[in-house]
Amino acid sequence: MSNLTATMSIATGAIAVEQGALTETANNVANVNTPGYSRKQAQFSENPPVVLGQLTFGTGVSLGKVTSVRDPILQQQIQQQSGQESELDALVTGMKQVQAQFSSQGSDIGTQLSALFASLSQLSTDPANLALRQGVLTAAGNLASTFNNTANNLGAQRSNLDLNVSQAVAQVNTLTHEIAKVNAQITELQNLHEDASSFIDQRDVLINQLSGLIDVSQIQSDTGITLTTSNGTALVSGSQAFALSTQMDASGVQHIFSNGKDITSEINAGQLGGLLDVRDEKIPALLTSLDTLAAGIVNAFNHANSLGLDLNGNAGGNLFTPPPASGQGAAAVIAVAITDPALLAASSDGSVASNGNLANFSAIHDSGLINGETPSAYYSNIVFGVGNDVANGTAELQSSQLVLQQLQDQRGSLSGVSLDEEAANMVQYQRAYDAAAQLVTVINQMLQTLINMGTGA
Amino acid sequence: MSSIRVNPNILPDLLSSLAQTRQQQETATMQLATGSRINQPSDDPAGAAQMVSNRDQSSQTDSFLRSIGSVNGLLQTADSTLSSVVTALQRAISLGVQGANGTLSDSDRSDVANELQGIQQQLLSLANTSYQGEFIFAGTSSAQPFIADAASPAGVTYQGNSGVNRVQVGPTYSVQVNQPGSQIFTNANGNVFQAISDLITGLQTNSGVAAAVGELSAAFNHVASQRVFYGNGINQLQDQQTYLNAEKVNLSTAANAISGADMANTAATLNQAEVAVNAEMAALGKISQTSLFDYLK
Repeated sequence: MSNLTATMSIATGAIAVEQGALTETANNVANVNTPGYSRKQAQFSENPPVVLGQLTFGTGVSLGKVTSVRDPILQQQIQQQSGQESELDALVTGMKQVQAQFSSQGSDIGTQLSALFASLSQLSTDPANLALRQGVLTAAGNLASTFNNTANNLGAQRSNLDLNVSQAVAQVNTLTHEIAKVNAQITELQNLHEDASSFIDQRDVLINQLSGLIDVSQIQSDTGITLTTSNGTALVSGSQAFALSTQMDASGVQHIFSNGKDITSEINAGQLGGLLDVRDEKIPALLTSLDTLAAGIVNAFNHANSLGLDLNGNAGGNLFTPPPASGQGAAAVIAVAITDPALLAASSDGSVASNGNLANFSAIHDSGLINGETPSAYYSNIVFGVGNDVANGTAELQSSQLVLQQLQDQRGSLSGVSLDEEAANMVQYQRAYDAAAQLVTVINQMLQTLINMGTGA
Repeated sequence: MSSIRVNPNILPDLLSSLAQTRQQQETATMQLATGSRINQPSDDPAGAAQMVSNRDQSSQTDSFLRSIGSVNGLLQTADSTLSSVVTALQRAISLGVQGANGTLSDSDRSDVANELQGIQQQLLSLANTSYQGEFIFAGTSSAQPFIADAASPAGVTYQGNSGVNRVQVGPTYSVQVNQPGSQIFTNANGNVFQAISDLITGLQTNSGVAAAVGELSAAFNHVASQRVFYGNGINQLQDQQTYLNAEKVNLSTAANAISGADMANTAATLNQAEVAVNAEMAALGKISQTSLFDYLK
């Protein structure tokens, strides 16, 4: 039996459902600019029909559930990619600062080295001339201080990176703590079979931020989500966060510990991965090269000076202070050992106007004294290495950004709120609402007719 | 109906492409400003490394050219000094020939001897010529090379040494820049001071004048042959200077090929980037201005 009150309840139910759908549209529109928001879709479903004898009657509509449109796999890809992108970004930023030490063509080590040889060449035309001798000492001093500055600046940059590492670790701890909290809320809601999508969106945003700092692997389990580094160091497990700590090592840089274990060398993605790469690999390797170059030059010049005789007729002493025996730190400490220009051993026979020994100095220019390479060639290799690191890093960063952008486009095309779509939905829901309301009016009139029929007219 | 849903938020894409174009703009402006397409090693790592060598070689070439300038002055001074010595010796020889004439009276010979003593002084002064504060005929010593010494048979003693200096004027090329004074003026093959001293004594004592003139001729020949050393040196330096100047041009051509910005191209790139920036800004201004909401009345 179909009756008017049943029809009335279909119409009023429809009104409620369209209203509910409109609420989701309103929510979508409201969150159009919320980062990480996944659009929600109202799912209408037809109510189970009633069968009366031979006839089957529909019983209206209900709002089945509201689903968030998201792709968890895509989300993970984005997280991975943004981890890589942040790592490259930190690497390129760090190496660009390193590169600045080798960019100034007027005052870099190569230029100062050339100037030293030029001053020796000039001295060879008038070897007793004190002004020209002073010129050699000045050029040697400039070379030494350029080495010092370059090494010190790299050291200072290493300290700055170290500071960044500490800050990044603090951010990681904040994020893991928040993720653990959100995890707990999600689990709680899911246990009650309630919609946790807004918390899931929030967690996606947080995990994305975390991936930007450190390498993150995620494992989905019944109790929520478990986050670890790629080497298995736990960061978050369900509602529990595992904080990282830092501790200074003997060389004065912060190492990262998890549960007492040093995981510094295991971190290879995110901002931390890039920072640690520059701090622990690139800069130390560069400093070692500079030390090798400085020690090679110092030893060669000291040897050349010892082969000749100075203006006083004495055998030449050290031109530069000797580098540490290991060569380590040579670039930072290299200095000219003499201040008296007369002590430069230009003479080969003890007579003051002899320039015979200067040939031993100028021979350094073309001798393969550092791993078979001339000082200038060795320096040019350093410049190449630095430039190459930046150029490669930049190229990788650009392609990584492109991939990330495509992934985000993909996410946007799936989960992003389209205002056109929402407007269309709104119109659709409004029309349905109008129609349902119209039905109510009609049924009301019919009921009126029925009632009036009873009272007899 | 199913159509591909596009990402409704295209702002990030546009912003990132705008940032890229801005980057191009900045790079092109930098290249135009510096004229170089390598402004930091990462612009072209291999090129930057080549430029290190190129700058080093240019600096070396410049310093060789500077050395040639200084050495050339030294050699020119020595050459013109020896030219004066040769002239003085010619005069001395003709005076000697005149003095050898048996018809001359004692007083005439004395006059000739007096004039020769003047030439002797002149030669001593020439042999002690200095260039930029350094005696040029003292070997590698800084002492005044020739000192008048009555006790010596030649009338002078040599206080310099026999050292020679070589100056590098090419990567593997050096030239000798001096001859010791003992080699030029008091050599066994022709001793200028001994000869003129002998001639003066000969004229004063009227004996052995002809032999002394012979000595003087030998000395003249010797000095003339020594002068060839300086003449050759000057020629060598000139050749080397020509070579180094060509080398400098080569190096700067190479530098330009390695790092020089193609100005026309860069200017075009800059223009394109500007056009692109304008277009992207226009697009940015236009998007999201309208949605379906605007048409619902």
